[in-house]
Amino acid sequence: ELFRCLAICHTVLPEGDESPEKIVYQAASPDEAALVTAAKNFGFFFYSCMLSCFSVTESTGKVTSLVRKGAKKITLSIGDGANDVSMIQAAHVGIGISGMEGMQAVMASDFAIAQFRFLTDLLLVHGRWSYLRICKVVMYFFYKNLTFTLTQFWFTFRTGFSGQRFYDDWFQSLYNVFFTALPVIVLGLFEKDVSASLSKRYPELYREGIRNSFFKWRVVAVWATSAVYQSLVCYLFVTTSSFGAINSSGKIFGLWDVSTLVFTCLVIAVNVRILLMSNSITRWHYITVGGSILAWLVFAFVYCGITTSRDRNENVYFVIYVLMSTFYFYFTLLLVPAVSLLGDFIYQGVERWFFPYDYQIVQEIHRHESDATKADHLEIENELTPQEARSYAISQLPRELSKHTGFAFDSPGYESFFASQLGVYAPQKAWDVARRASMRSRPKVPKK
Amino acid sequence: MPSNTASSSAAAAAAAGSADSSTSRRNSKRPKYSKFTQQELPACKPILTPGWVILTFLVISVIFIPLGVVSLFASQDVVEIVDRYDNDCIPAPARSNKVAYIQGAADKTCNRTIVVPKKMKQPIYVYYELENFYQNHRRYVKSRSDAQLRSVKDENQIDACKPEDDVNGKPIVPCGLIAWSLFNDTYVLSKNNQTLNVSKKGIAWKSDREHKFGKNVFPKNFQMGNITGGGKLIPDVPLSEQEDLIVWMRTAALPTFRKLYGKIETDLQENDTIHVILKNNYNTYSFDGKKKLVLSTTSWLGGKNDFLGIAYLTVGGICFFLALAFTIMYLVKPRRLGDPTYLSWNRVPGGGR
Repeated sequence: ELFRCLAICHTVLPEGDESPEKIVYQAASPDEAALVTAAKNFGFFFYSCMLSCFSVTESTGKVTSLVRKGAKKITLSIGDGANDVSMIQAAHVGIGISGMEGMQAVMASDFAIAQFRFLTDLLLVHGRWSYLRICKVVMYFFYKNLTFTLTQFWFTFRTGFSGQRFYDDWFQSLYNVFFTALPVIVLGLFEKDVSASLSKRYPELYREGIRNSFFKWRVVAVWATSAVYQSLVCYLFVTTSSFGAINSSGKIFGLWDVSTLVFTCLVIAVNVRILLMSNSITRWHYITVGGSILAWLVFAFVYCGITTSRDRNENVYFVIYVLMSTFYFYFTLLLVPAVSLLGDFIYQGVERWFFPYDYQIVQEIHRHESDATKADHLEIENELTPQEARSYAISQLPRELSKHTGFAFDSPGYESFFASQLGVYAPQKAWDVARRASMRSRPKVPKK
Repeated sequence: MPSNTASSSAAAAAAAGSADSSTSRRNSKRPKYSKFTQQELPACKPILTPGWVILTFLVISVIFIPLGVVSLFASQDVVEIVDRYDNDCIPAPARSNKVAYIQGAADKTCNRTIVVPKKMKQPIYVYYELENFYQNHRRYVKSRSDAQLRSVKDENQIDACKPEDDVNGKPIVPCGLIAWSLFNDTYVLSKNNQTLNVSKKGIAWKSDREHKFGKNVFPKNFQMGNITGGGKLIPDVPLSEQEDLIVWMRTAALPTFRKLYGKIETDLQENDTIHVILKNNYNTYSFDGKKKLVLSTTSWLGGKNDFLGIAYLTVGGICFFLALAFTIMYLVKPRRLGDPTYLSWNRVPGGGR
C-alpha cells in the first residue's frame, strides 16, 4: 500500500543538497508533501532499506543517488518510461516495467516485470526465496569442501607431514563435479521456506533478509564447526577401527582401502545433509541425493575394476570390491554418516525449539494447510471485461490512421493550410512526403 | 489509479495486437504453466517438531544398541596375544648400541615364550606389528612400479623407483623403496616341542595375487646394492607367489600397522606355552620403531575390534539419553507449536533475530 501511494506522487519535486535528511519536498499539494516526507522518515525506520520514489523529472536520478550515497541504504527504483532510465540506473536495484511506454526502462533495468502489481511478488516472494537459496547454497558449498579437505588435513598428521594424499586423484577431482554437485543445484532451485501466498501474507518475513539473518558470522561459524566435527568423525572412526584384521580370513586393509571407505562415508554424509537442510523436499531432491551416492558407487566399481597400462602407481585396483566383501564395511557405513549427521540434527532440533526463526513459526502456524496452487497465481483472466471488449471492438472499426509525427506544429499540410489562408501556394516538400510515407502508422487509441 | 490504467492499456495493446483473433480473448503473454517452471512441485515439508526429534533418537538407539552388542560380542570372542620383542631380543651387552648390533653379522636368533590366555580355535593368524614406521610417507608410497610387477615386458619402467631403481644399469625387479624395505623377521612356533605349521599360503588379498603381481615376473638384482633395506627374495619363485612381498607392498594407512605373516591351523588350548624362535633381522632401531608379534583369532567381523562395538553402544546410549533429555526439556519449557506470539514482530517491537 505504501508503495502504491508513493507511486502516485509524481507531482512532487525534491530539492535539497547532498544530505538526505535535508531534502525538502516541494509538492503540488501539501498532503503529498506530508506523505512523502513522512514516508522518508518512516521508510528509514520501518523498511529501513528501501524508499522508492516516482517522479517525472530527471531529478529522480539525483534523488536516488542521494539516498544511495548519503543514507547508505539499498535503493530500489521502478519505472516504465524512458524518463525513468536515469533513476533505474542510479539505484541498487532497478526494475523496469515493460509495456506501453516502450522497452527503454526494461533494457536499462536489472529486473523487468510486466505489471506494477507484480512488484509485491518480486520482492516478497521471489526476492526472499532468492536470498534464502543463495545463503544455503553458499554455506553448503563451503561446508562440503571444508569437510572433505579437513579429512585429508587430519591425515597429514600421521604421514610424517610428507604430503601424501589421502584419496585417489580421481576420487578427489570428481568429488565436486559428480558426487556432490547436483543436490545443491536442486536445493538452489527449489528451496522454499514458506509458500508464495504465505510470503505475501506475512511481509514481515522480509526482515530476515534485511537483518541478514541467514548469513551472519554466527551462521558461518556453526557450519564450520559442523564441518570440523564431521571430518573428525569420518576420519577417526574409520582409521581407528580398521587397524586389525577386518574379515574372518584375517586380512588387513591398506592405505587405499581405508581412504576409499572414508570417502564413501563422507559422500553419503554430505549428500544426506542436503535433506536435513531443506525446508521443502521435492522428488528431485531424492533423485539427486540418491543418484549422487549411486554415481559414486558406480564410478568406484568401474574405476576399481579396470587396470590399464597408463595407470600410475598406487592405483586403487579392486579396492571397492575388497571393501564390500567385509561385514566391517557395512557396519561402518551405517555408523559413520549417522554419527556425523547427529550433531547437526541435535543442533537443528534445539534451535528450532528454543530460538526459532520467524519463518519456522509461520511454517508451524500453517502446517495443516495444503498447498494452494492456482490461487497463488496473479490473476490475468483470459476473458475481457465488458468495457475492454467494447474498447477493443471500437478499435477494430475502420478509421483514419493518423500520420501525425507527435511533434507540435508538424501536422501534414500545416504549411499548405496557412499558406492557402494567405493565398499562397506551398507545395508539399518531397522529403516530407517521403518521410510520412515511410512512417509506421499509429492507430488512434480510443479514449476510455 | 495508475496501476489500473497501466493494466487496461496493456490489455488494450495486447488486444489490438491480436489482430486476427476474432473472439474477445486476450492475447496474454503468460508463459505456459508447468509445475516445474512455476516451482510448484509436490514437496515434503518436514517440520522438526519435538515429536520427530525424540522419535528419531529413539529409533537410532533401538537400532544401534543391538548392533553394538552384536559387534562387541564378536570382538570379545576374539583372543589376541601381543608380544613386543624388539628390545628384549637384543642381547644385554649390545643394548647400548642397538643399531650397530642389528647391522652387524651376529646371530640374531631370539627365543620367546608366549602363554595362551584362553582357548584359541583355528585358524589362528600370526601377524607382525610395527610402530612408528611410516609406510604412508609420500615418497615411500610412490616408490614402486606397478607395471613392472605385473609383466616382464615392463621391466624397465623404473622411473618412480629412485633410488632403488637399478644396479649397474640393470633394473631391479621389484624396484622401489617399498620392496627394498621388505620385512624379514621370521618366526618358528612350537608347542610342546612340536613345531606348529605356519601356513604362508593365501595371506595376501586375492586381487593382488592374481592381478597386480605377475606369474612370469621373477626377482632380479634384488638387494644387490650397498645398503640392504630388508629381506631377500628367492629368485626362482614368481612374484605372484611371493606372498610376504605382496602383503608388505600393500602400504599401510597409519604408522602403526599389522601385517599378516601366516596362519596356524591347529587349536591352542588355554595355558599352552608357545615357544617362538625368531630371527630378529629387521632394523627398526634407527628410527625408534617397535616390533611386536601378534597371534589372533578372528570373528566374522574381523580381529579384535572393540571400537566398532563401543562406538555403536555409545552412540545408541547417547541417543537414548538425548531422547530423555529432550522430553524433559520440552516438558519443562514447552512452546505451543505455531504460537504467533513467538514471531519476532510480536515479541519485541521492531526487534527480533
